[in-house]
Amino acid sequence: MFKGKKILLVEDEESLAIGLEFNLKQEGYKIIRAHDGKKALEYFESQEFDLIILDIMLPFVDGFEVAAIIRERLPQIPILMLTARSAARDRVKGLEIGADDYLTKPFHLKELLLRVHGMLKRKMWYQSSIEKMPIYRFGIHEIHFEDLTAHSGERVFRLTPHEALVLKYLIDHKGKVVSRKELLENVWQIRTDVETRTVDNFIARLRKYFEPNPEKPEYLISIRSAGYMFDEK
Amino acid sequence: MRRHQSLQYILIFILAQIAWLSLLGLWIYWYISNYMVYNEASQNTTYRPISAKTNIIALVGGLILLVAVSLGMSLIFARLSIQLKIAQLYDNFIATVTHELKSPLSSIQLYLETLKRQRLPGRKQKEFIQRMIQDAGRLNNLINSILEIAGHEQKKVAHHFEVCDADPTLRSLVKEAVDQFKLPSNAVQITGKVSGKIISDRNALKIVFNNIFDNAIKYSTAKPIILVRFDRMDNNLIVEFRDQGIGIPPKDQKRIFDKFQRIYDRDIPSVKGTGLGLYWVKEIMKYHGGQASVFSEGKNKGSTFRIVLPIYQTIAKHHSKRLLKTTKRSQEQPNSKERGNRV
Repeated sequence: MFKGKKILLVEDEESLAIGLEFNLKQEGYKIIRAHDGKKALEYFESQEFDLIILDIMLPFVDGFEVAAIIRERLPQIPILMLTARSAARDRVKGLEIGADDYLTKPFHLKELLLRVHGMLKRKMWYQSSIEKMPIYRFGIHEIHFEDLTAHSGERVFRLTPHEALVLKYLIDHKGKVVSRKELLENVWQIRTDVETRTVDNFIARLRKYFEPNPEKPEYLISIRSAGYMFDEK
Repeated sequence: MRRHQSLQYILIFILAQIAWLSLLGLWIYWYISNYMVYNEASQNTTYRPISAKTNIIALVGGLILLVAVSLGMSLIFARLSIQLKIAQLYDNFIATVTHELKSPLSSIQLYLETLKRQRLPGRKQKEFIQRMIQDAGRLNNLINSILEIAGHEQKKVAHHFEVCDADPTLRSLVKEAVDQFKLPSNAVQITGKVSGKIISDRNALKIVFNNIFDNAIKYSTAKPIILVRFDRMDNNLIVEFRDQGIGIPPKDQKRIFDKFQRIYDRDIPSVKGTGLGLYWVKEIMKYHGGQASVFSEGKNKGSTFRIVLPIYQTIAKHHSKRLLKTTKRSQEQPNSKERGNRV
């Protein structure tokens, strides 16, 4: 399904990079390899990619900075951070900057390949979905799904890719109850035995952005024991 | 986070000092004003409510105590600052060592899972196995190096000091480093010649040479060129390694030999290392009775590492005896640790 998709692999450990390149090529992906942050940005400027696999501890420009620059220019491109840094603060920083996923070394090959596949699937769904509806308006808000910007009255801000994905999914299913399980499987592409609190945290963030009173939501409504529903009265 | 914490400590310290000084000022003010009142009152009467002698003793004694408390606080603060700095460096060390350990480990796991997952042609299998062996070697080197530094600090490392001719020994060490890093023959040029003998632990000196070469290679943006110069100055032999790498800013030159110290700069072409290599170089040179230093005119102007070794004939007899005795003792201890390589 995703054969021929182009991946930028940014990894300074030669041995690991060669092994990763081999396996990703076996899956049918096209791989461009960069061994430092500077080179990664050069490739990013000159070519188009479908996904980026990014290490953090890189020479010249570290992975966090590379991710921030890439995210600024191309908000939708999926970024998978693959790093030895497993501390919670690094994980949070990576995800806050805009990485879509964070995998720590050493990792299982199968898991990495599944995550890459999931990210590409998500990207495809999102792209086909925004082609039908690139802009959505509700209340005083206007969401531009192409560049992930939100206009709330005078205020303009940018959503993270995951925030946009959650919102898009709920809007696409307007008036219907969407369970946490469904959101996790379709937005995060992960099994449901993983923390469902992640969904609640994202909904809480979206409510802060768009609800006049997040305590009494008008758009992103909680349905007891069932999940969430997007609605416009 | 730690920076924020240390700022908090500095603020607390400053506030405590202000509190002490205010107390002192208040106390002096109170003492003088009371003294004046008593003085005035005592002129009108023959009764002396407080003896002047007691007052002075109390004042001077109090001042001394206050100064002592203040000094004690300063000492505690200085000690705390050092501890905080060490903790910060230790955190950096853990982060870099974790990176250095996890990277080859991930690589080995990846190749093993690849071999398990699919049937590969023999040539590919061999290539992957070779890569795993290299990664395992890298892990082994790193672990040995860390253990050896710890052992050295606890004086458990075997020393093999012997008296040898300086020139051939030093030249062979350069050659071994060239071979180890697979440098082309024109990448290293040797000038100068030294005569005389040195008392050296050859394996330890090999670590010194390898670490200096490793640094020169890691921190060169172009193909590395290293100029090695042998010289003699008074009673010492000097070996200088001049590279054309990214150089070292003056502010970092002093602390580059400190334990866990690493320079973070976006122009640095490598992130590998633990911050122990040059510390080890310094320690090895120290127990040889020599020293290690670095000079660089600044960023992008290359670096010159210099090691100084005392000539055997000029070393005080008791010192050379002590070194050779260490060797004898370590040879008698079969459990003394073997050496690693570079960190």
